[in-house]
Amino acid sequence: MGIKGLTKLLADNAPKAMKEQKFESYFGRKIAIDASMSIYQFLIVVGRSGTEMLTNEAGEVTSHLQGMFTRTIRLLEAGMKPVYVFDGKPPDLKKQELAKRYSKRADASEDLAEAVETGNKEDIEKFSKRTVKVTKQHNEDCKRLLRLMGVPVIEAPSEAEAQCAALCKSGNAYAVASEDMDSLTFGAPRFLRHLMDPSSRKVPVMEFEVAKILEELNLTMDQFIDLCILSGCDYCDSIRGIGGQTALKLIRQHGSIENILENINKERYHIPDDWPYQEARQLFKEPVVHTDEEQLEIKWTAPDEEGLITFLVNENGFNSDRVTKAVEKIKAAKNKSSQGRLESFFKPVANPSGPIKRKESKCILRSPRSAIGHKMFSLQACRPTPKVLGSLSLPIPDLGVKHSTSLCIGVCFGA
Amino acid sequence: MLELRLVQGSLLKKVLEAIKDLVNDANFDCSATGFSLQAMDSSHVALVALLLRSEGFEHYRCDRNLSMGMNLGNMSKMLKCAGNDDIITLKADDGSDTVTFMFESPTQDKISDFEMKLMDIDSEHLGIPEAEYHAIVRMPSSEFARICKDLSSIGDTVVISVTKEGVKFSTRGDIGTANIVCRQNNTVDKPEEATIIEMTEPVSLTFALRYMNSFTKATPLSSIVTLSLSSDLPVVVEYKIAEMGYIRFYLAPKIEEDEDETKPQV
Repeated sequence: MGIKGLTKLLADNAPKAMKEQKFESYFGRKIAIDASMSIYQFLIVVGRSGTEMLTNEAGEVTSHLQGMFTRTIRLLEAGMKPVYVFDGKPPDLKKQELAKRYSKRADASEDLAEAVETGNKEDIEKFSKRTVKVTKQHNEDCKRLLRLMGVPVIEAPSEAEAQCAALCKSGNAYAVASEDMDSLTFGAPRFLRHLMDPSSRKVPVMEFEVAKILEELNLTMDQFIDLCILSGCDYCDSIRGIGGQTALKLIRQHGSIENILENINKERYHIPDDWPYQEARQLFKEPVVHTDEEQLEIKWTAPDEEGLITFLVNENGFNSDRVTKAVEKIKAAKNKSSQGRLESFFKPVANPSGPIKRKESKCILRSPRSAIGHKMFSLQACRPTPKVLGSLSLPIPDLGVKHSTSLCIGVCFGA
Repeated sequence: MLELRLVQGSLLKKVLEAIKDLVNDANFDCSATGFSLQAMDSSHVALVALLLRSEGFEHYRCDRNLSMGMNLGNMSKMLKCAGNDDIITLKADDGSDTVTFMFESPTQDKISDFEMKLMDIDSEHLGIPEAEYHAIVRMPSSEFARICKDLSSIGDTVVISVTKEGVKFSTRGDIGTANIVCRQNNTVDKPEEATIIEMTEPVSLTFALRYMNSFTKATPLSSIVTLSLSSDLPVVVEYKIAEMGYIRFYLAPKIEEDEDETKPQV
């Protein structure tokens, strides 16, 4: 999923590009969310115990609806304006990756059957999570739910992350929320992780800014895309023996995959025979997305209370009181998203003052003893100080402050 | 080297009480002009700007422009240990990672030294342009505090409308509505009890009462509060600090839904 090891690579090499933000600080912001990723998470986590999942009377799984409903309300209550983007047709290059995932899932199903037989609860839990698949029906259910809630839904022509990034680039959204790091490779100016995590986990939102990443890594966007392809993406294999760190080194040294291929030791690193890195690059640079404003039609409307009750309570066995209360919450939340932000009025400027801690030291007083100079005023005298200073500290309280400064300097020189 | 001696130490205590709930961590900036601070609350809706001019200190030494990151909660804990009549001196050495607060009792028979660790704070500094406001309201600060407190028991937001007749504060909540009008009134004996309105255009803006209530924690600093309003700007709530500076709070207004689309996205 996504780009292998990119989070760690960025944490090590571009720490300033990552910022922890409070969930609440995103009020009033339009956030493009990769829906498929969220649904997948809901199916894994929400209301699961062993192989049992939340279901309606007909035995159909409703975890995704429960998850989508509560988490979206949480976003709305915080004053955010979510817009969900659903995956379209996967690009041809991804088919290989998808086939891999499919076979993994098949393996997991076998393992699961075995675990159920032996009754190993941990294994059952582990393998049943791995068998999770987001079906077309899940997607359709969620779309219907979101529309009823008055939340806009966009169907991407291809990859949802790419569409999210495009929305963010065009200013239709403030940031992209996903757990998939390739949103950055698609060039989403702002990318949020952990936005959809349950509130009980208390994980702060991690905000990435592409511009800062490029600045910190000292790369161009094209080079960053190459870096991601080398690190390992969904569209093509990576070169064995080259991970994130090596890839970064190589890109810095040679500038592009083409140059790396020319200069790299082919004995040491085996380059796959069929390595469609150029196509992969193309997919990242110019993904298939909707850009037509009318097609996008991002509007937040009032929730359809009756529709929600029919869908959730009558068809999917949700508790009617809870749904009614939730609808009230959605209506109340409308008010919150109207709060303005100071940055809309005032622009950031450079602060003229430098921090007190400077790298180089010039002053003699900065020697470790200067710290003792401070301490000697202390009446608590909690730290044993050299005897000379200790005896000097007694007369101090009788002196004026201005004198004490010069005395302090004297002591430091003397000692 | 930094050394600031403030005879009226209670001022600093009051300043901290006024801002510590709004902002957790902030950089204090020291320059030849004075001791200042600019910080936003975590949601970037409100901003506090503080200035204590160097002339207001009995002794002011600041060799170069410095910024010191402090946790305001911790700073407030330390300043609470100072007596109300104490003289407070702030000291920091170049390159040090601590700041020292020294409290001297008026009779000079008790001197306390508190050393606090500084922190690295990565904060944005906003440029606040000088602006002509459509309406400026001067009123008793205790009156303003009372209004904000009363209205917040009814609703979450306050609509402040200024017309020639006066300034109106209104709110609406589940239990009902409230309207408070303060008329222009400068005929009182004491100038601090007057309500004075200067207006070029009528204004009406909506604000979250939660923030307004937080601002009124500065009431002990000044008997007069000044509200400056313009239809396209954050409101400024200013408390003057006796002879030496001010504390100004800026609050972004609430924006009507349909107008939202036309506002610049940042």
